[in-house]
Amino acid sequence: MSTRPAPTVDRVARLRVERLYWRAGFGALPGEVNALARQPIGRVVQSLLTPRGAQLRRGPAPKVDGQPIDPFNEWGHDVLWWLDRAVRGRHPLVERMTLNWHDHFATSNSKVSDAKLMLTQYRTIRAHALGTFRGLAQAMLRDHAMQRFLDLDNSHKRAPNENFARELLELFTLGVNNGYTERDIREAARALTGFTFDWETKRFGFDPERHDAGVKVIFGRRGNFDAADVVDLAINHPRHAPYLCKKLWGYFTPRPCPPATLRRMVSAYRGSKTQIKPVLSIILTHPALYADLGEPDQVKPPIVYAAGMLRKTGRFVTFRDWSWLLDDMGQRPFYPPNVNGWDQDTAWMSTASVRARYSAASRIIKEMNIEDGSLSANQTPAKALEAALAATGDPWISPQTRAALMRYARTSVAGRTEKWEVKHYFPERQRVLRHLLLAGPDAQVS
Amino acid sequence: MDERRTGCADWHHSRRELVGRMADTIVPLDGAALDAGAAALAAESRGITRRKALIGAGGLAIACSALPKLGVRGMFEAAQAQAQSDPNARILVSIYLDGGNDGINTLVPIGDARYRQLRSRIGIPDADLLPIAGQPFAWHPSMAGVKALYDAGKVAVLPAVDYANPDLSHFNSQIFWRTGVVGQSADRSGWLGRTIDLIGNTENPLQAVSVGWGLDPILLTRRAPVATVFDPGDFGFWIPGVWQDDAALRPYRAALSGARSPARKSAQRAYRSAISVFDQLAGLRAEGDTPPAPPVAYPDDNLGKGLRNLARILGAGLGTRVATLHQSGYDTHDQQSTEHAELLKVLSDSLVAWQADLDARGLSDRVMTLVWSEFGRRAEDNDSGGTDHGAGGLVMVIGNHANGGVQSEFPGLTNLDGEGNLLVTTEFRSLYATVLEGWMGVPAAAVLPGVDGRRLPLFR
Repeated sequence: MSTRPAPTVDRVARLRVERLYWRAGFGALPGEVNALARQPIGRVVQSLLTPRGAQLRRGPAPKVDGQPIDPFNEWGHDVLWWLDRAVRGRHPLVERMTLNWHDHFATSNSKVSDAKLMLTQYRTIRAHALGTFRGLAQAMLRDHAMQRFLDLDNSHKRAPNENFARELLELFTLGVNNGYTERDIREAARALTGFTFDWETKRFGFDPERHDAGVKVIFGRRGNFDAADVVDLAINHPRHAPYLCKKLWGYFTPRPCPPATLRRMVSAYRGSKTQIKPVLSIILTHPALYADLGEPDQVKPPIVYAAGMLRKTGRFVTFRDWSWLLDDMGQRPFYPPNVNGWDQDTAWMSTASVRARYSAASRIIKEMNIEDGSLSANQTPAKALEAALAATGDPWISPQTRAALMRYARTSVAGRTEKWEVKHYFPERQRVLRHLLLAGPDAQVS
Repeated sequence: MDERRTGCADWHHSRRELVGRMADTIVPLDGAALDAGAAALAAESRGITRRKALIGAGGLAIACSALPKLGVRGMFEAAQAQAQSDPNARILVSIYLDGGNDGINTLVPIGDARYRQLRSRIGIPDADLLPIAGQPFAWHPSMAGVKALYDAGKVAVLPAVDYANPDLSHFNSQIFWRTGVVGQSADRSGWLGRTIDLIGNTENPLQAVSVGWGLDPILLTRRAPVATVFDPGDFGFWIPGVWQDDAALRPYRAALSGARSPARKSAQRAYRSAISVFDQLAGLRAEGDTPPAPPVAYPDDNLGKGLRNLARILGAGLGTRVATLHQSGYDTHDQQSTEHAELLKVLSDSLVAWQADLDARGLSDRVMTLVWSEFGRRAEDNDSGGTDHGAGGLVMVIGNHANGGVQSEFPGLTNLDGEGNLLVTTEFRSLYATVLEGWMGVPAAAVLPGVDGRRLPLFR
C-alpha cells in the first residue's frame, strides 16, 4: 500500500480530497487518494454525484465468525449489515446520504421490531437518496416501517393519530413552529387516515372506509386532501426549501451557511422540482467545506469512524463486536434514539463513547497481528512512525500529535536492549503508534 | 459572545438551533434558566470557585472554552479536590426495570376482588403471597427481601405512577421517563444529567456514574462530564500486546493540546475526562480480582454485580452524586409467571445485599435508591400467560430516610381506562420533583421545566 504522497501531488489537494471523502462518504481508500487529488475538486464532486457501476467493491462478502452476515436472524447483524455497506460501497455519497436521510426520517427498530421492514426502508431511502425530495418523502409516507413507527398504520377517521402529521411538518419538511398551526396538524392527520396493518397476517393496506374523505383546511387551503396531498402541500410550503437546504448543509459542515449560499441552494432546489443533487453540488464545492484544512472541524459520526477505520486499514466487517461497539459509541443504525435522529458533531464525544472508539481500534490492532519478534532493534523512531502511518492509511495528524508520537517512539524503546525486550517492546511500540493514529483525538475529527 | 475570547464559535450550535425545539412551546427547556440556576446554586454552595461562577454566569460557551486549559493531571487533581469537598453529600441511585414491570403482580392488590377475575391465568395464589399487615396489598413471593426492608420502614412504594394519556410504547415512554419531558424534545439531556449540570462541576466525571458500558441516556448532560463504568477494577485502556495500560496512554496524554475547533476540543475533552476516570479508579484497580467481600452476597447477575461495583465506587469517596443501573427482561408478554418470579428474586436479593453493603460502608444514610419502570402492564392477563403493555407503573424509593409505606393512591381494578389499564394517579414528574427537592436539594423547576407543585410524602 503506497501512502506517501507522490511528489507531483499537491499536499493541499490531498487534504481537500480527504476532507471531501470523510464528509461525503466514509473516508477515501488509501489507494485512490492520489488519483483523486490530481483532479479538480469540482470533477471529483461530479463523480460522487453521478455514481456508476456496481454498488459494492469486487470480492466476496465478508464473513463474521465464519458465517455470512444475517441481518434477519442474528442479533446485531442488522448493524453489521449497514456497516458492511459503508465499508464496501463504491458509491460513497449515496451510502452517506442514505445515512443522513435515515437520521432525517429517523425510524427505530426498537418500535418497529421487524428487521425486514427496516432493510426495506434502507433500500427505499437509498433508491431516492440522490433523487427528488418529493419522491423520497412520498416513499416514506408509504414505507411500512415508517407507518408503524409513527402510528400511521390503523389511524382511523374516527380517531386520527397525529404522530406522523406532526413530525412531517416539524421534522421532515418545515421545522418546529415554522409556518403551520396545531390546526394544520389536526387537519393533516385527518387526511392521513385509512392506512391499515393487520397484526395477524402482518399485511399493510389502505381501507377507504377508514379514510376521512371530507374537506380539510391545511395552510389556509381547502380541499378533499388525501395523504399524498398532505406531503405535497408541505413540500410546496414556502418555508420548506430553506429549512431542508439548511439542514442538508449542516450534515456536511458545522460552519454557518452564508445567506447568499442558502438563496442559491433554495433556488436550485425549487428550480429543479426538489432535486437533491443540485443542492449537494453547491454544498460540496463550497469553500466553507474546505476551510482551514489543517484544523478539522467536524466530529466523525460513529459509523463513519468505524467504516473509515476499516477502509483505511484495508479491512472488512469480520467480527460481531462492531454491534456493541457502535452502540457504546452512540450510533446503532436502525436504532436512532428518537424521531429527531442523532445529535451530531461534538455531541458524539463523551467519556463513554471515546472509550468505545478506543476499544474499536484495539480490536483492529488485534486483527493486525503484529507478533512479538517481528521487528528488529534497527527500526529507528522515524521509521517506526512511518510504518505506523502507512499501516493506518496516512491519516491527518496535528503537530502536537506528531510530536507526541515521535517522543513516544524514542522513549518507549530507550534502553530496551535485552533480547527479550527487543522481541516485545519494538512490536509493542508499533501497536501503540498505530493505535493512536486510529483512535487518538485527531482520528475523531475530519 | 465574543468568539475569540471564548474559543467557542456560535456556528457550532447551528444544527440544534435549526431543528430548533429549544424554545418550543411543547418543551420549554430553558437553557438560560438552567444556567442561572446553576449560578445561584454555585453561589450558595461552600467553596465556590471562580470557575464555577463563570460557568454559571456564562453557560455552555464559557464552560467549553475553559475546560481545555485543564490538562489530564489538572483535571484529576480538581476531581480529587471536588470529591473530598463534600463527603456527606447525598446520593441518588436509579434502577430502571427495562421492559415495563408488572406492578400489579409485584405489589399485589389482594384487597381488590377484581384481581382474581382479571388475573385468572397468572394470579398469584394467596398461600404464596407475602401480605402486608394492615394493607390491602401483598408482596410477590420473590420479594421477601424487599418485604423485610419494607417492614423495617425503608421502602416507600407507589402504585400507578405514569403520565397522563400514556401511549404504551416502550420507545416513547422510555424517552419521557429518561428526559423528564412528556412529548418529543430536541434536547435529549436526561433529567439526572440536567441535575448534574446544576449541582455538579466540570472536572469530575465520577460525579455521575452510568453503571454499564454505554452512557445511560438519563445521565446525558449538556456540559458536565459523566462517567460510564461497569467494573472499576476493569476500567482500562487495553491494547492487545501492550503490557501496561499506562504505557499505552502515555502518548495519548501528550496528544491532548493545541485544538482550536470545537470538534477537536470536544475530542480532547472526552479523552481527558476518560483518562481522568482511569486515574481516579487506580485505588480500586489495585484491589485486583478479589476486592473485600460484601456482608451479604449479591446475586450473580448484571444488576447484582453492578450494585456491588457501584458500592465500591461510592465507598472510595470519589464524589459520586448520582448513578444509574438497569435490569432487563420485564417485557413479559408470555410465560410471565416463571420469568417474572426470577427477575423479582434477583431484584429483591440485589436490593437487600445493596442496603447491607451500604450499611457496612457507613453510606446508608446518604444513599436513596429509586426503582422504576417505563409503564405497568395491562390489568387483565392474556392468552399466552403474560401481560401486554399497560399504564400506571410501580415505583419504589428505598433508603434509611425513605418514608416507608404505600405513598400514592392505588386506583383499583374496577375503574380502568379505555384500554383496560390502571388509571394514573401519580405523575412521574411529581415523583422526580419530590426526589430533586426532598433528597437532592435541587429546585425541581430548574430540571423539570413547567413541573407543577404536586409533591409526594417520600422522605423522612
